[in-house]
Amino acid sequence: MLVLHQVHKTFSTPQGELPVLNGIDLTLDQGESLALMGESGSGKSTLLHLAAGLDVPDQGHISIEGQRLSSLDEPARARLRRQHLGLVFQQFHLVPSLNVIDNLRLQARLAQREDAEWTAHLLARLGLAGREGYFPEQLSGGQQQRLAIGRALAVRPSLLLADEPTGNLDEQSADTVLALLLELVAETRCALLMVTHSARVAAPLDRLVRLHLGRLEDSHP
Amino acid sequence: MIWRVLVTLLAHYRRHPGQLAMLLLGLWVASALWSSVQAVNATAKDSYARANALFSAEVDQLTRRDGQPLTREDYLTLRRAGLPVSPMLEGTLEVGEVRLTLIGIDPLTLPNDNALGGDGAALTAFLTPPWQTQLAPETLDILGLSRREAPGATPDVNGRHQLPPLALRPDLPPDTLVMDIAAAAELLESGNTLTQLVTAPEALSAPPDGYRLSRAATLASPEQLTDSFHLNLTALALLSLVVGLFIVQAALGLAMEQRLTTLRTLRALGVPATTLILAILLELLVFGVLGAALGLASGIWLAGQLLPDVATTLSSLYQADVQRSLVLPWHYWLGSLAITLGGLLLAGSGVLWRAARLNVLALGQSQAWRRGYQRQLTRMSQGGVAAAVIALGLVLWLGRLPPGQGVMASFGFVAALLLGSALFLPPLINAVLRLLQRLLHRRPLAHWAVADSQLQLPRLSLAMMALLIALATNLGVSSMVGGFRLTFLDWLDQRLAAPLYINAESSTLAPMLDWLEAQPEITETLPTARGDVDLLAVDSKGGEDTTRERIALFGITPSPTITNRWPLLDTQEGRSAAWAALSAGSVFINEQMAVAKQLAPGDTLTLDTPQGATRFTIAAVYPDYGNPRQQIVVPTEALVQRFGGEIASIGLVATEGAERQALRQALVDRFDVAPDALVDQQEIKRLATQIFERTFTITRALNGLTLGVAALALFATLLAQARERQRQLASLWALGVPRNTLTQLPLYQLGGLALLTGVVAIPLGIAITWTLVAIINVAAFGWRLPLYLFPWDIFITLLTAVGVALAAAALPSLQLWRSSPQAMLNKGAA
Amino acid sequence: MNHPGFAAALLLMASMTLIGCEKSPPNAEPQGFAGLGEDAAAFAQADGASPLSFPEDHGPHPDYRIEWWYLTANLEDAQGEPLGLQWTLFRQALTPPDERPDPAPWNADQVWMAHMGISRGATHVAAERFGRSHSQHANGQAGVNAAPFEAWIDDWVLKSPEDASFEDFTLSAYSGEGADRFGYSLTLEAQGPIVQHGENGFNAKTVEGQGSRYYSQPFLQITGQVTLNGETREVSGQGWLDREWSSQLLTPEQTGWDWFSLHLNDDRKLMAYRLRGGGEDGGDYAFAHLISADGETELIGADRVTLTPLETQSVAGRDMPTRWSLTLPDADMQLTVEARHPNRWMPTTVPYWEGDVVVRQADSQENIGVGYLEMTGY
Repeated sequence: MLVLHQVHKTFSTPQGELPVLNGIDLTLDQGESLALMGESGSGKSTLLHLAAGLDVPDQGHISIEGQRLSSLDEPARARLRRQHLGLVFQQFHLVPSLNVIDNLRLQARLAQREDAEWTAHLLARLGLAGREGYFPEQLSGGQQQRLAIGRALAVRPSLLLADEPTGNLDEQSADTVLALLLELVAETRCALLMVTHSARVAAPLDRLVRLHLGRLEDSHP
Repeated sequence: MIWRVLVTLLAHYRRHPGQLAMLLLGLWVASALWSSVQAVNATAKDSYARANALFSAEVDQLTRRDGQPLTREDYLTLRRAGLPVSPMLEGTLEVGEVRLTLIGIDPLTLPNDNALGGDGAALTAFLTPPWQTQLAPETLDILGLSRREAPGATPDVNGRHQLPPLALRPDLPPDTLVMDIAAAAELLESGNTLTQLVTAPEALSAPPDGYRLSRAATLASPEQLTDSFHLNLTALALLSLVVGLFIVQAALGLAMEQRLTTLRTLRALGVPATTLILAILLELLVFGVLGAALGLASGIWLAGQLLPDVATTLSSLYQADVQRSLVLPWHYWLGSLAITLGGLLLAGSGVLWRAARLNVLALGQSQAWRRGYQRQLTRMSQGGVAAAVIALGLVLWLGRLPPGQGVMASFGFVAALLLGSALFLPPLINAVLRLLQRLLHRRPLAHWAVADSQLQLPRLSLAMMALLIALATNLGVSSMVGGFRLTFLDWLDQRLAAPLYINAESSTLAPMLDWLEAQPEITETLPTARGDVDLLAVDSKGGEDTTRERIALFGITPSPTITNRWPLLDTQEGRSAAWAALSAGSVFINEQMAVAKQLAPGDTLTLDTPQGATRFTIAAVYPDYGNPRQQIVVPTEALVQRFGGEIASIGLVATEGAERQALRQALVDRFDVAPDALVDQQEIKRLATQIFERTFTITRALNGLTLGVAALALFATLLAQARERQRQLASLWALGVPRNTLTQLPLYQLGGLALLTGVVAIPLGIAITWTLVAIINVAAFGWRLPLYLFPWDIFITLLTAVGVALAAAALPSLQLWRSSPQAMLNKGAA
Repeated sequence: MNHPGFAAALLLMASMTLIGCEKSPPNAEPQGFAGLGEDAAAFAQADGASPLSFPEDHGPHPDYRIEWWYLTANLEDAQGEPLGLQWTLFRQALTPPDERPDPAPWNADQVWMAHMGISRGATHVAAERFGRSHSQHANGQAGVNAAPFEAWIDDWVLKSPEDASFEDFTLSAYSGEGADRFGYSLTLEAQGPIVQHGENGFNAKTVEGQGSRYYSQPFLQITGQVTLNGETREVSGQGWLDREWSSQLLTPEQTGWDWFSLHLNDDRKLMAYRLRGGGEDGGDYAFAHLISADGETELIGADRVTLTPLETQSVAGRDMPTRWSLTLPDADMQLTVEARHPNRWMPTTVPYWEGDVVVRQADSQENIGVGYLEMTGY
């Protein structure tokens, strides 16, 4: 599903070169869920962005569903992203100009894969039925994140990438959102890579890896 | 405390220097255009005041009926007969490109208070050798002298004339040298002759035998004539000011919105509301003074660029001389500063209002913005309706006013129309976007683009309103100018019926006429004549009015060459009947006179002819572009014989093979005229067209600048929200929309909005054109133009709208293209 | 001496509203009233070395700086209502004789100023004219011919017929238009001889000897018509014509003068003046001339005449003495001279007070004559 092989990434900073990833090898199979932990600044988000094709590694290669990202140009990477990937961010990144239902099906429509039934189902599962006409700023934080998760899953991605999806939520909402996320992932049988710094959040996932000094350390829960 | 509060508020701009730049930019352009036009106006006013203070203005003038030059003997004879005439000698000295007017006066007899003011020693210095040259400091440049070395200097002019010692007189018009008539006579080598005999206005009830009297009233003061012209300029400047203030308002609104949290925190920390408002006021004041200073500096520069064209226009159109260097009295500085600060305060009043009503407890403003904006749109529609009602009322009222009046009301109408349309624009755009959103439901990206445009509308609407106003005025003015050009060139063609013209002194032309008629190669001579007459009464449908007013007379020769082409606007019974009536003793009047006196063909005039008061029927009204005064046309022969007019020029029709050069030489040899006395019709057309082009240079320049300001407003608005937009686009990118598409999206969005604005601007521009040609021009220049529409101009307007929008959107888009969306994503909600 | 005019002339110039440039140097030095005390070394100086010569001396003396032809008249209409009038032509040289410009048509070395005034009751009207001429031009806008005598500016003309030059005159001067028009048309006949004031007509005006050539024709019998306030009336009475020229009339310290020309009922004439400042010890310089009916004269020196203001009234913002005591111990005369009305201000370029007066015996207040009073420098 997702394969990272000897991935290196270095950022230029005013203080000089800052190596963030130092030869990462990682494989994620269909239906598998993986928590990626690490301290702030350890490179978790960088790794996630590389996996999403939002950024390119300095060395090594990444492939999704057998396709090497480095062999794809920008439009092709974008197509891959909208058809096969779902992204969930800490900041939700909902589109403020669109209402709930339009946000929910945005990616699916962009990928020309809208499935009205699935969308309706998702809406109900997300607890947003009856709020189709609301705009994002009219929702609570938990509702917004649920909507963001729904938007990512509406396209039935094969890989869901989540970056601290509960980081902006209070504990109770976080639990609800996380539970929902895992249920839906199970339902769609997609693979999940989730970045988090919370062991509590990481606990229910199949595998856990830690990022430390640019390398992965396997640690099974 | 207020200082601390102010520092806290200003810290915002350190993080958002773009907003500060936008604010200052708005103030700068608003104040720059306004102050440049005011500088031009102030300079012109100063010139008029100086010209009026000069002896030759506001006096009646005597000339000899026999066309001979006036001499000292005329002067002495009239003086000894008790007539209070004063001798004057006027000539020109050419210094390089510049013609200096040299005026010799006799201060002892000069009518009343044209006063130069002074003491006995000064008078003696003025009257006795080596005499004295009085001149304005501005004239020194031409003589190559500095202000310091000027007093007492006796510069050589062209190595031929040595001027009497210079003395500075700041109240004189530029390019004018004033000296005693004795000194002027020596410089001009004029001996015994004079160019003018002047008297105080109305000092003579009738001219003495053998003399002709031109009343000061016929020589209307430049100030009156040019009033409307300056009003036009002021209106344009006001427009730029308003457009600039749109930018300011947008910048202030944005800064305010982003600082609401800061304001609430400050209130929560115990800062009283009044202190907060004072601090904001103080902030506005700081920006205002800074912006006004920038604006003044560039306004003065701009005025310096515009002034030469304005001066040329005023001099060719109204014979009003305006100096070519700026004069900026203290009230100019104060006025410009006050206007800038006043405008800023107006633009900032919304911000102050919000600060005053700030709710300390409100947590976020976002919850209600959508409903809030709906409310705002409703209020805009209501305001638009109110403005439309005012516009309607004004136009109805204008319809009942006699033509040529209501300049202020016309500007009021245009202002109300512009304001109303601008207020209607955002609700209209909003409605169109809603509709589109429904239609594009199936196309997610287009759907998103429309929805996103709607979201941006609150921020963009001010800039769009400014764009609408600029576009509409541009279209209005360019249609007016274009229509005028068509009309004018056509008119010129008709009016210049003869292929050749001779201009010379009347005393030369009269004998020349007989000689020309005897020449075999000349097939037709078409003399024109000039004179003036006292109008005693007018009798029209409006009733009979008695008056006593000096009106210019113009004589034309009604031969077929002329009558087949000469333009007429309105006749009693058709063209041929009108020409027959003219030959039979009726008169034509120009449009300016018809408008001013509300006369139409069929009405009658009573004129004070040498044979006594006589009634004349008006047979036709003719267009007379470029003439600021009222005029009556009679046949040349009648003008010379019945009104004591003199031949002004001769139009010639020659045979095919006639040698122009030979004719010219013959005229020079035989009548001692200048070689350029014989002019080709084409040459006259060329000159007239040139003057015409100059007339509208400043209008076009200001208009173009206004459009530029509107583009800046749009650009500044886009730039101010660029960061937030990038975040929006970045999340789309994360969802898998390619960057290429993302970069183009804003261009489509903005181009679409601008196109919509452009479409609205078209009818508005046409309405403005109509107001200009049918009302404002009639009042300003005395002529009405047909309403012409130019599809090409309309197309250009739409193109401009889209172009301006794309240009404004290009930089933010480029920025998006250059920056990594991932970085945008990372910045998150920062 | 009288005449402000003179002054005026100068002044005239002075005033002229014309001509002012930036920063004319301020005149720090005193120059006497209207510049009459200015140094005039380049001009001819008045003295009594040679006798006056007529008719030449009726004409202008362009080598001298200033000169005037000055007529005042005390008239009555058919109803006996008194009326005063004045007509004066002043000449001032613009340049000393050796700096004259060549006589090109517009060149000038002389400027002229004329004043006319008419007074009746509270009414007082005045007009002023200016002109230029060159002393080598025969004809100009303004000028004076000695014989036959003619003095003119524009259409204001005082002239004599060829056979009676400087004995009979006609005078015509009008100003204004329509209802505001005023002026007079008069016939004047001399009933007595010309009177010279001082040795050979030289009249000292200061203790240092500055002075003027000065003669008068005080015996004019006048008839004619005067137009005022829109009506024209027949008038008659007596007039006094002064001629005076000089280059430096006053010392710089003299600030002005008070001058009287009186027609006494016994046919005697009395001319008296007081120059303020410039006398011994900075006092006033006074002078009087009593003229008998046959023109014989009696000069009365500075110490034998006293002129004292008795009452002042506010005129044109100034305190003007309108009632005077005039004492001539040698002639046993003690007179009170009183203005008929204080409103006799001449609002001309150089302003002054000039008006008709009544003469009374100081003790009995018996009316013994009429005359003219001129006061300058207030």
